[in-house]
Amino acid sequence: MIRQPLTLFLLGCLLLAVAILLPRFVGLPDTAQGLLYGLAVGCLAGSLLRRWLPEPCDTAPPALRRRYLREFLPPMVGYMVALAISLILLRQVEAEWLRAIVALLPLPPIAFAMRAIVRYIRDTDELQRQIELEAVSIATALVSMLYLAGGFLQAAKVVDIPASAAMIWVFPLVCLVYGVAKILVSRRFR
Amino acid sequence: MDSRIRELRERFGWSQGELAERLEVSRQTVNAIETGKYDPSLPLAFRLARLFGEPIEAIFKPE
Repeated sequence: MIRQPLTLFLLGCLLLAVAILLPRFVGLPDTAQGLLYGLAVGCLAGSLLRRWLPEPCDTAPPALRRRYLREFLPPMVGYMVALAISLILLRQVEAEWLRAIVALLPLPPIAFAMRAIVRYIRDTDELQRQIELEAVSIATALVSMLYLAGGFLQAAKVVDIPASAAMIWVFPLVCLVYGVAKILVSRRFR
Repeated sequence: MDSRIRELRERFGWSQGELAERLEVSRQTVNAIETGKYDPSLPLAFRLARLFGEPIEAIFKPE
């Protein structure tokens, strides 16, 4: 696990450079390019969080944090692999029932990742639990409001967002807002 | 909520970390209780009272 913010930041910059430059020299599938961009942005965001995350933002004991990472990271790697496999297979599969199964392949790893989050929140100490629950509530409320606004605008034909893209972004958006909300909420208790 | 946690902790000669360990919470939780930024749950308040050998109402005072 990379803990140093600078190392993580440099890795993010490297991945970003590869994602931008590689398609100029070799034919890179959109999925691979998307994954590279995702990893780059993830590393850059992670480095900034590690640099500026206030100390009380995550006060769980080291053993609990280790268990969380042990339970959370493998499903996320599994998700990326399942997503890549699913996108490749969808080009070749015709039968509708089989397409449904293949399309849902990335879902089980996400369910395991969510289980890890719930177990972490449940077993952490009471102040941290309050911070986590407030952050989750804020994230849920904000993302729901955003999607409700998007729905109204779409119904009024003001915007035209592809439904599949909009739905896929719900979970990452909740995670992002959850992280930012956690930083803000934890400041109250410093 | 105002509390005498800091005073009692210092009387017992414990650091925030040591008290946190005895209570099985984080040091940040102890700090937040001492500074009045977080009100502990009833079970935690009882654990504090038992640890310091004082009744809850002698440790916590409403603002």
